[in-house]
Amino acid sequence: MNSNIWVLTFADSIAIATTLMLAALGALFNERSGVLNLGIEGMLLMGTVSAFLATDATGNIWIGLLVGTLAGGAAAMIHATLSVVFRANQIVSGLALVIFCTGLANFLGKPAEGRIIRERLKPLDLGFLTDIPFVGPIVFGQDIVTYFAIALTVLASVYIFRTRPGLTLRATGDDPATVDAQGLSVALIRYSYTVLGGLLVGLGGSWLMLSRASAWNREGTTNGIGWIALALVVFSGWRPMRIIFGAVLFGFTLQLPFTLQAERITFIPTSFTQMVPYLATLIALIALSTPKSRQTLGAPRSLGVPFVRDER
Amino acid sequence: MRFPLRFEARTDTPKYLTYAVPVVSVIAALLAGIIFLLATGYDPIDTYQKMLQGGFTTFYGITDTLGLSTVLIFTGIAAAFAFQMNLYNIGGEGQLYLGMIGGAWAGLAFGKSLPSAFAVPAVLLAGVVFGALWIVVPAIVRSRLGTSEIVTTLLLTYVALNLMNYFIYTSTSFFRDASTTGFPQGRVLPKAATLDPIGSTRVYPTFFLAVVVALFLYWLVKRTEYGYRIQVLSDSPRAAQYAGINAQRTTLSVMMISGALAGLAGAALIVGPFGKLDISITTLGYGYAGIVVAALARYNFVAILVTAVLFAGLRTGGAKLQITSDTPIHIGVMLQGAILLFALGGEIFRRYRLRVVRSQQVVTP
Repeated sequence: MNSNIWVLTFADSIAIATTLMLAALGALFNERSGVLNLGIEGMLLMGTVSAFLATDATGNIWIGLLVGTLAGGAAAMIHATLSVVFRANQIVSGLALVIFCTGLANFLGKPAEGRIIRERLKPLDLGFLTDIPFVGPIVFGQDIVTYFAIALTVLASVYIFRTRPGLTLRATGDDPATVDAQGLSVALIRYSYTVLGGLLVGLGGSWLMLSRASAWNREGTTNGIGWIALALVVFSGWRPMRIIFGAVLFGFTLQLPFTLQAERITFIPTSFTQMVPYLATLIALIALSTPKSRQTLGAPRSLGVPFVRDER
Repeated sequence: MRFPLRFEARTDTPKYLTYAVPVVSVIAALLAGIIFLLATGYDPIDTYQKMLQGGFTTFYGITDTLGLSTVLIFTGIAAAFAFQMNLYNIGGEGQLYLGMIGGAWAGLAFGKSLPSAFAVPAVLLAGVVFGALWIVVPAIVRSRLGTSEIVTTLLLTYVALNLMNYFIYTSTSFFRDASTTGFPQGRVLPKAATLDPIGSTRVYPTFFLAVVVALFLYWLVKRTEYGYRIQVLSDSPRAAQYAGINAQRTTLSVMMISGALAGLAGAALIVGPFGKLDISITTLGYGYAGIVVAALARYNFVAILVTAVLFAGLRTGGAKLQITSDTPIHIGVMLQGAILLFALGGEIFRRYRLRVVRSQQVVTP
């Protein structure tokens, strides 16, 4: 058995976890404010295709990252407008967003099909640290966005649980009426966090393109990662720190089929190993909905419920 | 300064709005499409004209649209049936794959020995059973534990996709055509297990089955005791509890029927245009489109017949567009999404009216 491949597997699991982490963190901000956004997969696709096109046009990956991030935010504005301003059914709106974004991303990505971008985000090289056997490439050999994502998740945890605006955010998701009574605008808060969530998802999507995919492969580019991210938020109990753990876990299951193929371990067909992340997510979701774990999880109480003052 | 416009609750909804909102949404989405096409450098007039011809105004345009609408009616009523109880079966796509797998299996297994009058129903029935089985786990955990069916049904779609890949790409697969050495193909079903299209069109008799099933469901929900139970449960779970309605069992059955209908969509494709297990289905997204069809029809089974034809037209128009010009086919899917987004935004006008609020502040000169 080639131990090098397993080092790469663990390193790549953390790398894949970056997209999951950013997408789940974005969804967490949405949901903490009380807005359920099922459109993550669509926003992720917009992020990937925009990052491809911008990088391809300018040759600059940083512009690619920026444009992809903004594209995610722009897509989220559609959902924010419908669910916050127009008080639409958030579930249907999120699904409509997935379909719209999939069509739009495929439309925009048509000229990009079958091409690759050469520019890539390079892993950091921390000299002797990265050279440490086994641990080095896994812990010190990631690219800057991965470290940024981890730092951001930690910061988000502090922000949500230890600061005043974080308290307001949690209150908006749990009991918007009290926030309204304080003279704050529930609509503005929800709108802002929905767009912030979209920006994070967009960043996750751009990163996926610039660090791993480097080619536009339609829906296959994201391959359901957005939906796993949504499940990850439930898995984390709406707590950012647990997202890191969950993302690495699910990142590993997403990476495993490639490793098994490379190792020529084929007694389980690849089609079946590729089912593992989705089945693992499914089992985790079911396990987390037993009455006992439900009490400790604590979903925002007003999740998915539009706030209307005059009808209170 | 306060925003000068405000939404004010309506006491009753004017009847005309029920029709006006979807119609205006379609128009608004088409207008948004024009702006988008102009921005991306395509000719909007030419694009729409070709889509209209390809989907709605020529003989083959109309018949192709009706043919395609068959599967969208099935997936639409599948989504709509679950929604009658505020359940969201988002995994219709995966149940459709399983319906195809089940249908193809039954066709290949029995098509040789059974006459067409039995073989075709066997294919459809297998699709129904496989589709229902694919949703059984989400249905059980939803009814027992309350696990959100939205994510669970969707996750299973990705499992179904891999199952589909497995059955088509594995060299020893029962479903695979062993005689072709090129790109893996599904084994074509025996003639007895499939149906011919009507005349020179691409409309299959399954179209009429779809219409009949849609009308039957309309009757089931509006006129039967079972439908009444569903309505009470969705309107007021507490009232249902007092009335002694078993919420768990009804949830389970509604989801299973929804899955069965999506499976039927897949089996109808086997009987109709495909005639074999075909991997191209995984790029078509008929299951997802069904959700849009159902939502735009506001989950009304009769209205679904209209929206399914409309969306089928957008798709066939989009597909033909790609043949005659370089505008990507995806404009059709994009417009579907846009129409639904506008319809959702428009919903508010059924419940609220927009009022201009005069500023109360005195303006200092």
